[in-house]
Amino acid sequence: MKFYYFHLMPYPMDHAEPSSWVTLSNRHYDPAVGHTLYNQYLDQLEYAEQLGWDGLCVNEHHQNCYGTMPSPNVMAAMLVRRTRRAKIAILGNGLPLRENPLRLAEEIAMLDVASGGRVISGFVRGISAEYFSTAVNPTHSRERFYEAAELILKAWTEEGPFPFDGRFYRYPYVNPWPRPLQKPHPPVWCPSQGSNETVEWAAKRRFPYLMVFTPITRIAQIYGEYREACERHGYTASRYQLTVNLPIVVAENDAKADEMARAHAMWIYHVGLRMAPPFWRPPGYLTEPSLRRVLDNPPKMPTELSFEDLEAGGYIICGSPATVRDKLRIFSDELRAGIVCSGMNGGSHEKTLEMMQLFAEEVMPHFRDDAHVDETAGIGR
Amino acid sequence: MAETDLARRTLTVRGTPIEMVTAGRGAPLLFLHGAGAAGRWLPFHERLAERFLVHLPCHPGHGGSPTAEWIEHISDLAFHYLDLLDELGLDRVHLVGASFGGWIAAEMATMASPRLTSLTLIDPVGIKVEGWIYPFLFGMDIPELVATVFHDPAAAMALMPRDQSVDTMIELARERTAIARVSWNPSLYNPLLRRRLGRIRARTLLCWGEHDRLAPLTCAKTWQTEIPGATLRVFSKSGHVPHLEEPDAVADAISEFCAHKDSR
Repeated sequence: MKFYYFHLMPYPMDHAEPSSWVTLSNRHYDPAVGHTLYNQYLDQLEYAEQLGWDGLCVNEHHQNCYGTMPSPNVMAAMLVRRTRRAKIAILGNGLPLRENPLRLAEEIAMLDVASGGRVISGFVRGISAEYFSTAVNPTHSRERFYEAAELILKAWTEEGPFPFDGRFYRYPYVNPWPRPLQKPHPPVWCPSQGSNETVEWAAKRRFPYLMVFTPITRIAQIYGEYREACERHGYTASRYQLTVNLPIVVAENDAKADEMARAHAMWIYHVGLRMAPPFWRPPGYLTEPSLRRVLDNPPKMPTELSFEDLEAGGYIICGSPATVRDKLRIFSDELRAGIVCSGMNGGSHEKTLEMMQLFAEEVMPHFRDDAHVDETAGIGR
Repeated sequence: MAETDLARRTLTVRGTPIEMVTAGRGAPLLFLHGAGAAGRWLPFHERLAERFLVHLPCHPGHGGSPTAEWIEHISDLAFHYLDLLDELGLDRVHLVGASFGGWIAAEMATMASPRLTSLTLIDPVGIKVEGWIYPFLFGMDIPELVATVFHDPAAAMALMPRDQSVDTMIELARERTAIARVSWNPSLYNPLLRRRLGRIRARTLLCWGEHDRLAPLTCAKTWQTEIPGATLRVFSKSGHVPHLEEPDAVADAISEFCAHKDSR
């Protein structure tokens, strides 16, 4: 199994506001604290490469304390020059949020060329709240996503200049310099929470599917749907097309790990993902069939999840190295996921580095049958 | 008038199916509803129906009218209702629109004033007014929304969803989607409309709630300046929806305005 270190770059804080997104005033953001945090977070990502992680992940979110990376490409650029081996996975860029997605094709190509072909390019729609923060019309989200993806892939693979005349994006000359180094283009991943439409779209194009912060039963169901869709499109999914993203908390024994998880990992759900109801479901963001599925069987809001819910539901992995190994076996052997993306939080920079080291020494080596395989060879394109 | 007296029917307007209620007697009057009021026959309509033959269609994607994917811009809705006049064989009508419906009505008037016997706009949105930014309704929860739209919160009861079933929630989401499609950004206005208001030749009545917090009286003054000869009536016990908050007074003001010899 391959291990990717995933960073949200949160701004950890407590507050009593109804939403950590869109309306949480940025007066709470202290740039001096932010300076320290950014540098610690980048140190953690660089350390992950030294410890043997296969990939480093960044992602895009706007106007919140959950993840302070409005431009993941900026963070990826910093990592490109400070690392040598690890893949740099941008999970992802919010395609429909861009007014000029050709600029994305250019930025990713720059990163790919500068990094010597280590970039993985996640394509996402952006979560509901981003449509309030960027003012992009959520009723256009899906169509803009498909159209921007088509534009970017063409810009990477077809010789320019050529015109592109879409419904949302129009260019008389598509001819980006540089072109990406990886051929035919950097691997494309689809991080998602399992809408039928995205599963189908990704499977058809052989783009790996990444489940983010989802209970394990739902992961199993969506993986099943994805594998089935791949068969329908005439091929069998590689294990490296199935990726999961979940927080891991490891400590010298189960009790200590529990204690750390309760103190630090819960913040993501109880504060980071706290969102005022209007921001959950902007109009037209979900298709009617998808909305009906959600309303027929409403999931618990992140703020309603207890630590026990997260543990039992497989939202997080927590325990001693032996316990974490056992739980990871479920992902590697039963769900047959090829890549695990995980962030860690020890409560302080130093404790986080210690936790990373413990994981790299006591857990990772037990999952290295595929150490010599390049997980991106022929995948995602 | 009991619900049974209302003629509720579906018809197809240049390929677009819609549901419409028609009731009353007198000169034809087309009423264009605002957000959240689709298909609701209210005391205000009851009063108007004493003097007019009231046509109350549901916008596509609202109430009993299915979503029309081709509608991408507010002018698409305006053309849709001009098509409806053709479908109904109405040469001229009294046109009344409230809020979002008022925006559509104003767009229609800039395109085809000669088809309008009169034009009444009740707290319309749709134009950019210096110094004013419409509050972003999509970001509000229900209590905030009620406080923004109604002067008297009790009047909001008239627009309560009929239940909390999944079907009702889907229907509300469909309506919000149809509105967002044409009004998310720019939020609740068409940058091109304001200059075009000068083309309106129909006699125009502006009805405005004195306590409107969505489109306050300062907006009314701009509409009055831009539409040649427009009359402004202010309703002192109303917010954004005077036809819900003072239904008889607003209906009577419209009847009185339309009784003018130039409007017949």
